[in-house]
Amino acid sequence: MNVYITDGSENSFYTAVFNACTDKNCIVTSSHTVQLPMDSTVIVVQADGNKCGRVQKKLLAYAPRCLKDISLILRRGSAAKEQVALEYIRLIVQKRAPVGDMLSHPAVIAAREEKKKVTLEAHRFTGFLRFMEGKGGIYYAPFSPDNDILELILPHFTARLADQPFVIHDTARGKAALYNRKECVIVQTDEKVSVPLSDCEQHFQSMWKEYYRSVNIAERPHEKQMKGYMPVRYWKYMPEKT
Amino acid sequence: MLDEQRLKILTESAKYDVSCSSSGSKRANAKGGVGNASVGGICHSFTPDGRCISLLKILMSNRCAYNCLYCPNRAEADVPRASATPDEICELTMAFYRRNYIEGLFLSSAVEGSPDSTMEKMLETVIKLRKIYRFNGYIHLKGIPQADRSLISRAGLYVDRMSFNVELPSEKSLRLLAPQKSKEGVLLPMKQLALEKAAVKEEKAKHRKMFLPAGQTTQLIVGASPESDGQILKLSEAMYRRFSLKRVYYSSYIPVVKHSLLPDKCAGLLREHRLYQADWLMRFYGFSAEEIAGEGENLPEEYDPKCAWALKNMQFFPVEVNKAPVEALLRVPGIGTLGAYKIIKARKYAALDFDDLAKMRIVLKRARHFITCGGKFYGSENAAAIKTMLMLEEKSEKYEQLSMFSSPEVSLSALTGQL
Repeated sequence: MNVYITDGSENSFYTAVFNACTDKNCIVTSSHTVQLPMDSTVIVVQADGNKCGRVQKKLLAYAPRCLKDISLILRRGSAAKEQVALEYIRLIVQKRAPVGDMLSHPAVIAAREEKKKVTLEAHRFTGFLRFMEGKGGIYYAPFSPDNDILELILPHFTARLADQPFVIHDTARGKAALYNRKECVIVQTDEKVSVPLSDCEQHFQSMWKEYYRSVNIAERPHEKQMKGYMPVRYWKYMPEKT
Repeated sequence: MLDEQRLKILTESAKYDVSCSSSGSKRANAKGGVGNASVGGICHSFTPDGRCISLLKILMSNRCAYNCLYCPNRAEADVPRASATPDEICELTMAFYRRNYIEGLFLSSAVEGSPDSTMEKMLETVIKLRKIYRFNGYIHLKGIPQADRSLISRAGLYVDRMSFNVELPSEKSLRLLAPQKSKEGVLLPMKQLALEKAAVKEEKAKHRKMFLPAGQTTQLIVGASPESDGQILKLSEAMYRRFSLKRVYYSSYIPVVKHSLLPDKCAGLLREHRLYQADWLMRFYGFSAEEIAGEGENLPEEYDPKCAWALKNMQFFPVEVNKAPVEALLRVPGIGTLGAYKIIKARKYAALDFDDLAKMRIVLKRARHFITCGGKFYGSENAAAIKTMLMLEEKSEKYEQLSMFSSPEVSLSALTGQL
């Protein structure tokens, strides 16, 4: 059995698919902690522009919108994401047509579930992200999502807070988006950075906490529902929950 | 600047307004401005009572001239009073918005002085927020009944959504419990805004102004007065039809004030929940109010209104999942709008059986009594047995142990051990 190890990038994945698609019994993964089967041969895949381009071109011809779906699936923070994407691609290649509507097919169900987890988390963080005002008037927002969604939520914030310079920091993946009112770049960072806060920041955080306390109807506790909508793992950077 | 003490008073008075949605508007950000509206709405936090925080819900003032019996801020009540200036509200909104705490502002007020002066002050706040603070986020403005018509329609040009609260489901109850309010005072401005919005829609796209892009909503208090669920649903249906409302909110009565004319018990969340279920059936499932509950009827507590309808109309069931039109699928208990859409798409490629439905995450515990898959039926034939099973399932969701004294059919089955 062949085990294709990619470097986690999209190009590297499509390069692996070039061979893996017809390789009936194989595993594609970017995880370094994967348990290898007994008789496995490890193939480390380097991104190859030519192979990758050919795979993408073929997929585009069969199912024009599938590249977007696959790109979302590959943002998943689970070890099985490449395998789910591969099964989905195999089905497209087999049918030579879009398969997104075959909602009772196991490969499609799995792909939709993974995709949903990514888009749901991206949507949640458009609400749960919290900015704090730094000394120089630059707003800083740390978060540690399960999936790699920084690029997905960026357009939302650059449109909404267009006149506000900000940094959104994915502490789990050590990368940050820097926005200066004109353009936005993504850079690699350390896990922790120290940000001196502006003078009024503390005031507004405590106002927000007071608001959070006051708007609650204490006679009707329903913590379970709160935690269902707002999982505890996201509370780390929310002033009202710390 | 607003301090914590006043924020507390002004928020605690506003929190019983249940409307929280920030959806329906796609106002874009302008150059040099802050904010935009997200058409699907965004929840920014959740409180320990399970409700979402989307908007900064706040009153301009809780010094009220009216004396509605059910209201904690009524004129005679002895509670701490406070008010905020337009600038204070604008500043707080902007500071919260820039930190991504909120999606926008929900501005309401007690009637301080006259309805007109109150409405003027609210309008001033909204215009300041849009023009001076250049805020393009979501604004929900609570209308003051009996305020001047021109003030109300002017506000429509600046805010995304407006709402007038009907509060009590009949004129008689309104007269009894809120003597200074009248049915016309609430319904006329709603009608006026609906007509104006329709008129704006007629204009050519090029010259069209934005007028209440997210429409209107209203709120009813349930359980403070003796109206039946059937009557309430009929009222909602009429308002949806006549004023093209986006939502009717139901708020189960919480006794914050003791008075001989008011019940001293909570109406209970279950009744509120059943009303919302029925409301959804009217808006998304093609049901009419009459079908769900007759004039004097209440909704059953044991199972949801769709189950109740299906049990009364067993002649339509079972439906064949692989052939039934979408309207029929939508009427199957346990199949929602999303489930129906999934079935319609999936069955084009392959015939579906019960395993497929389960894999597609369509919940079968209710649906199996009302559908066939390729001619196969896994439910119970006997209507009484179905009834008992549905009740048991609803009960088991709440992890409640069966009692011999719960509803008659369930207690019978607890005694005999038969389902």
